[in-house]
Amino acid sequence: MSKTMTRRGFLRTSAAGAALAAAGVVGYAEWQSGRAHADEGSAASGDVKRVSTLCNGCSNECGLWVNVRDGVIHTLEGNPDNPNSGGRMCGRGHGFAQMTYSADRLTQPMKRMENGEFEPISWDDAYAEISEKLMGIIEKNGPQSFAFIRDPRPNINFYAPRFTAALGSANIYTHGAACNLSLQSAYKHTVGGGFSADVENAKMIMFIGRSYADGITPASMKKLAELSVNGDAKIVIVDPRFNNSGHLADQWVPIRPGTDLAMLLAMSHVLIEEDLYDKSFVNDHVLGFYAFKKEVEQFTPEWASEICGVGADTIATLAREMAQAAPAAVIEPSWRAAFGCAHQNSFMTGRAVAAFNALLGNYGQKGGALITSSPSLGKLPASKFPEPPAAKGTRVGNKEYPLAVPFMGTNLAALKGALDGQIKAMFFYQSNAAKGYANPKVWEEGLGKCELVVDIDVQMSETAMLADYVLPECSYLERMEAVYTLGGKKHTVSLRDKAIDVIHPETRPADQIFRELSAACGVGKYFDFTVDELVEAQLATVGLTVDELREKGIVELPTSDFEYGKVPEFATPSGKIEFYSVTIGRAGLSPVITWQERKARPAEGEFYFVGGKQSVHSHTMTTGIESLMNISKDYHLERLWMNASDAKELGIAEGDTVEISSSEYTDKIDVHVTERLMPGVVFCPTHYGGSSPYLKQGYGFGICIPNFQPFDMEPGTGATMSQEFTVSIKKVGA
Amino acid sequence: MPRYGMMIDTRRCVGCFACRLACQMKNTLGPAEGFVHFEHLETGTYPNVDAEVVPLQCMHCEDAPCQHVCPTGATFTNEDGVVLVDESKCIGCKYCMVACPYGVRMIEEKSGVVEKCRFCWSDELGGPNSPSCVSTCIANARVFGDLDDPESEVSKAIAANDAKPIAGDLTKASIYYVR
Repeated sequence: MSKTMTRRGFLRTSAAGAALAAAGVVGYAEWQSGRAHADEGSAASGDVKRVSTLCNGCSNECGLWVNVRDGVIHTLEGNPDNPNSGGRMCGRGHGFAQMTYSADRLTQPMKRMENGEFEPISWDDAYAEISEKLMGIIEKNGPQSFAFIRDPRPNINFYAPRFTAALGSANIYTHGAACNLSLQSAYKHTVGGGFSADVENAKMIMFIGRSYADGITPASMKKLAELSVNGDAKIVIVDPRFNNSGHLADQWVPIRPGTDLAMLLAMSHVLIEEDLYDKSFVNDHVLGFYAFKKEVEQFTPEWASEICGVGADTIATLAREMAQAAPAAVIEPSWRAAFGCAHQNSFMTGRAVAAFNALLGNYGQKGGALITSSPSLGKLPASKFPEPPAAKGTRVGNKEYPLAVPFMGTNLAALKGALDGQIKAMFFYQSNAAKGYANPKVWEEGLGKCELVVDIDVQMSETAMLADYVLPECSYLERMEAVYTLGGKKHTVSLRDKAIDVIHPETRPADQIFRELSAACGVGKYFDFTVDELVEAQLATVGLTVDELREKGIVELPTSDFEYGKVPEFATPSGKIEFYSVTIGRAGLSPVITWQERKARPAEGEFYFVGGKQSVHSHTMTTGIESLMNISKDYHLERLWMNASDAKELGIAEGDTVEISSSEYTDKIDVHVTERLMPGVVFCPTHYGGSSPYLKQGYGFGICIPNFQPFDMEPGTGATMSQEFTVSIKKVGA
Repeated sequence: MPRYGMMIDTRRCVGCFACRLACQMKNTLGPAEGFVHFEHLETGTYPNVDAEVVPLQCMHCEDAPCQHVCPTGATFTNEDGVVLVDESKCIGCKYCMVACPYGVRMIEEKSGVVEKCRFCWSDELGGPNSPSCVSTCIANARVFGDLDDPESEVSKAIAANDAKPIAGDLTKASIYYVR
């Protein structure tokens, strides 16, 4: 059965949506004219209010102030008291707010019919049909045949695990396998959890693949710009591409993709060989140092240079400079970038980053690597908020991928489960898995084998196109969510709050969807409260009220125990930084940190491939937004980057169209010729190539990178290995 | 009377487009319209390269070519040194677009008026309403204020960094760049 929406079905549902939406403001132009009107009337009589909320344009949860005029969003600003926004707001955040007024939003529940077309369905009918199918599947196959995948956000982090557990399933996942699962798992097993770089106090900071200018947290960007212009620190960017943070750096170190590990091992070799490491710190806080020392004896800068393409002298000098600046020297922990989920050796690369920082003795030190705690809310009263019992089974994938961070798990195991017939029902929340987490054709096959696929989203994403039921959530500016806690040097609580009334009457917030759906599934007793009641109860556990939080937008809790100079606790089995890990050894990987190859290597004439983010987009979820896509189109942001010498050899000029092929896929794309990329490597952003006709702005623009990626999982963690492929390029018409 | 101006530090700018988008929203521009444009400069050859992004917008020139050529007086400079457009007088002749050496005037689709950056001028407030390109900038690359007040943040920043208008003395621009 074809799962693609036909043109006719698409038009019909659009028309239905437009009719329903007539009550509110729908479409960019209508929104703008409404705003212009509000402007004129606002001076004397307009209803102007400022609402504090959290952005939903990525997972930073930046605090915002929303200026609302006559019930319409006017402008947004960063909340200066919020540690992530630092009072600023990035472009995609401004753009993402406009999705609220998009004419392309989902406006009513949809059901895929026998003929593959989507038809509107009432909420009551959708709940009745979904619950009947879901409970039937669970009765027949057991609760472990159900899986839930979400992009973690405050609300869904509360509701999705609760809903999954209430149904007796352990199969709850985040998008992590396609984000930073490898490195988060590496840090967990090496230093006990994630760490941050103390950017503003660093004397030397090295970024590997990570670019604050491309994958933005505004406050971090501001600190890095300040450090670059007014600080006396040395900033080093290790990346095959001179990324958009390159301009702020003192040194660009181009490196072959997926070989950062070789450079890190050689840098460790230099510190140990030349006695430049922090011996007292290592003695007190490292487990397995001698095994590691023995291991890295062979990993000389000359050895690494052959593999990674960075000069041996450069490697040795960087190591020495870091040692000299220590403990105010740090390798930044990164995010998705080069070793979040990219290669077979990403987990090992993360371990080597954590270990190099340990050799510098920088943990807890000013300008070093900071491990901070997170606040926790108290226990909710069980009478109103009873906890469902923990699921009896083990999450699908935990056995094969035991090193994955428990909060994330590997959602690709659920996909494998669907392919194997083990998973029969799958739910998604704000998760365009089928476009970004692994090869889309594999998702289409896996979801095609499921008996029930349900997607909750604000727009008809490519994953929604593969669902049996699509439940439309109202946008983030139209809903309140569960309390958000943020750890760090300070502990804070903040709230995603409702800035405007719901525009489309048939869209509902997630808390309502779960309350109603769980009741239909017979587990309503775990959801018998509104989100307002939940927030009130959550805040009460830390002695706060909703009004207090609304007034300030963010409140600091007195619970942080952070102080500079104090070596943090390492939450590993040994309580030490584990250069040697029994747990990792048991999972079948090398217990000691060592060299591991990347998997795919280019044959003669082929290229390494690197993907990456751009400042104006967030995964694939912003490609329906007109003002952001106009920037992509005006500035040709979809183009494939190629080094000028490679381009010359292939007879390619700026803007020429090439055919790009991997083992899995072939497509066409225009080329950007540049000196900002290592020869032998091509770069392409990972946002484009939309294939949902609902999202008109991004439909057919650029190429979809996961199409090129073989379906595979990193040993130990189950991460997607998003860059384990090579490509051949030829000029179209040549 | 103040004389408003700005300093843009391209050493900090990473070309993230936040200023263009914040401005677009505040000034109710269309989704394809922007008062801020970007020039992307790449210098050197691999591996010795640098990249600079130069945001361009109305420079609020003391000697504004767009104002000189405007046949109806729609483009004018107010007492605070801000170059503005009187919508009711603009006939959409585009002379200003041709005359502007920075290429930063644009036709606003909804009105047909040839518009440009107005430093977020607000008639209600009788002054600039916190220019959103400045307040949103994630790299803190922009400083705004009174050029005639030597104690203002912008005057001090210009002096400290020896900032210069992008085209020297060409139009006596009120936006200064550090590069």
